[in-house]
Amino acid sequence: MATYDWFFDSVGLRGWCDEGGADGPMTMADLLAKTRGQETETSLWDVPFPSLDALHDSCKAVPQSRDLTQGLEAGFLGIRDALRVVIDPLTQPLSWMLREMLSLMTQSPWWIVIPVLLVIVWAVARSWKIVGFIALMIGLLAFVDHYHEAMQTLAIIFVCAAVCVIVGVPIGIAMSRSDRMQRMVIPVLDMLQTLPPFVYLIPLIFLFSVTEPKLYGIAIILYAIVPVVRLTDLGIRLVDKDVIEAADAFGMTNRQKLFGVQIPLALPNIMAGVNQTIMMSLAMVVIASLVSAPGLGVLVLRGIRNLELGVGLVAGFGIVVLAIGLDRVTKASLARIDASQANR
Amino acid sequence: MEKTNDIKVSIRHLYKIFGADPQAALAHVKAGVGKPELLETYNHVLGLQDINVDIREGRITVIMGLSGSGKSTLIRHLNRLIEPTAGEVLFDGENILEWNDARIRDLRRKNMSMVFQKFALLPHRTVLENAGMALATRGVARQEYQAEATRWLDRVGLQGLGDQYPHQLSGGMQQRVGIARALASNSDIMLMDEAFSALDPLIRTDMQDLLLELQAELHKTIVFITHDLDEALKLADHLVILNDGAVVQQGEPQHILLHPNDPYIEDFVADINRARVLRVRSIMREGEIDGAFSGDVDHEANLESVIARAEGALDRRYRVMRGETPVGVLEMPDLMRALVPRRASAA
Repeated sequence: MATYDWFFDSVGLRGWCDEGGADGPMTMADLLAKTRGQETETSLWDVPFPSLDALHDSCKAVPQSRDLTQGLEAGFLGIRDALRVVIDPLTQPLSWMLREMLSLMTQSPWWIVIPVLLVIVWAVARSWKIVGFIALMIGLLAFVDHYHEAMQTLAIIFVCAAVCVIVGVPIGIAMSRSDRMQRMVIPVLDMLQTLPPFVYLIPLIFLFSVTEPKLYGIAIILYAIVPVVRLTDLGIRLVDKDVIEAADAFGMTNRQKLFGVQIPLALPNIMAGVNQTIMMSLAMVVIASLVSAPGLGVLVLRGIRNLELGVGLVAGFGIVVLAIGLDRVTKASLARIDASQANR
Repeated sequence: MEKTNDIKVSIRHLYKIFGADPQAALAHVKAGVGKPELLETYNHVLGLQDINVDIREGRITVIMGLSGSGKSTLIRHLNRLIEPTAGEVLFDGENILEWNDARIRDLRRKNMSMVFQKFALLPHRTVLENAGMALATRGVARQEYQAEATRWLDRVGLQGLGDQYPHQLSGGMQQRVGIARALASNSDIMLMDEAFSALDPLIRTDMQDLLLELQAELHKTIVFITHDLDEALKLADHLVILNDGAVVQQGEPQHILLHPNDPYIEDFVADINRARVLRVRSIMREGEIDGAFSGDVDHEANLESVIARAEGALDRRYRVMRGETPVGVLEMPDLMRALVPRRASAA
């Protein structure tokens, strides 16, 4: 006799209950109760919450909680093939880009890669101090034989951050121009930001093969795209209303306004978003080593798995050094943009 | 100065109501509901109420009112930055409210330029690029608009500053860039929204003089918004006084000063230095001069200069001259009477 029998009896659903009585496999709790022998009358103190499982005890037609998780899984597996037909070709370029970038940065000799990186740093930051700092930083990592892993991590970050900017900035612009679009996108961004990163690794593993780089590529992009979208939207919305009105009053088209006024004036905010996006992709690239992302994260993971304290700490320190370097370079370019419109 | 009295833009029965359902509120307003009642009962704000103004070509029309009187809203209807609830805006006889976006854009690019209270320059462009903004918007390449933009920058007194950025200039200089930007578009109409209100008094006087000087040369059709009566009287050929979204009185500024038709305007003009603002032509007696006179005065001279000339004596009479021709006579007692504000209620 289960707790909620009286409910189904009194509302006259007993017939329906017994009809749907195809009993599934026993739960562990049932099994334990059975081995203990007799069913005892439950006291008021022990009345269970009318959950799916408790109701199932009284009425076999009510599904159990495990049917929910199983249903979700079956549902996902059911649409998986259809999803793959759409998503696989769409995301294939990401795999190519990641593979090419990884091989480019790790196969090329170090005496080409390091100078090229330093030239890029100079082009972005225009400061010899920063260039010197980055040279020191790469030199340090290479000196302790972490050069290869550091380059792998950097390659992944470059590709993912670039994709984030290419996809995120237009989304941000669209949000800034339409309140409805903003209302639709913000909950998605909130979800991406609050969902623990491990959680969206799970469906991705089902969707793609673990050997494909796009698996971790997508995970990193989903995690890191949020700030650049948000700050692009914010930046464009914060552009001085008077200046926009002047642009209107002189007959600018929407396109002239967007590229001639709004984006240039929103650039400091957009660059702040890019900085955050790069930092977040660095954070995620470590977690993504769980799903075969190469780089410093793998060493950290090894440190955890095998309790190799030194390996984990050195690799972790390497990540910190990379983070500081990336942050300095993007901040320097941000400061350069800010200086050109200091009066805002 | 003698230009045709053609009407360039005319505003007809213009209403603007802010709120959720302006058309329904418009019906209430036309049925006689006032501004406070509309806000209280129907939760709509009456922005503009039955505005009729003719803006004549080549003249400065000043629209004056305190903040909240709807003057900035009104000027934005002229180039349709704001859409009216009802009414017409006729540009050369055509109702621009029926025009499509492309045509409005063309109007804004070629026929109407605007100067803003907060300058609204593009902070990321140089002064030269800002001055050439209207031309660049039309698709003119930099090499081609450079000469034109530099010419107007020189004209407003900003020689050699073309490569600076706006934030490197003072407020007054930034507004000169704003004026150069409007002039460089070569539009025949200039809309000036409280253009000098953000400047300090000395700079403001300079800018007013600059505007009058430019106007004497260029004869643009200017619509000027201000909350400052002194500024309005100095610049206006035609003065429109707004209060609570309705025109209280409009006409020639001297006429309004001498014949206010509303207590609101009487209060307004009470603090004005009348001797400096009123001109001889407004209070002289027209016609042939009979008898002796003490001397000649110009018809545009202000009363202050006449009092100084008469050394305060009340028994003088002056012949009023327009150029070389006598046009009337000025009696000192008339002058003294004009110095005391006349109450519409007492008249």
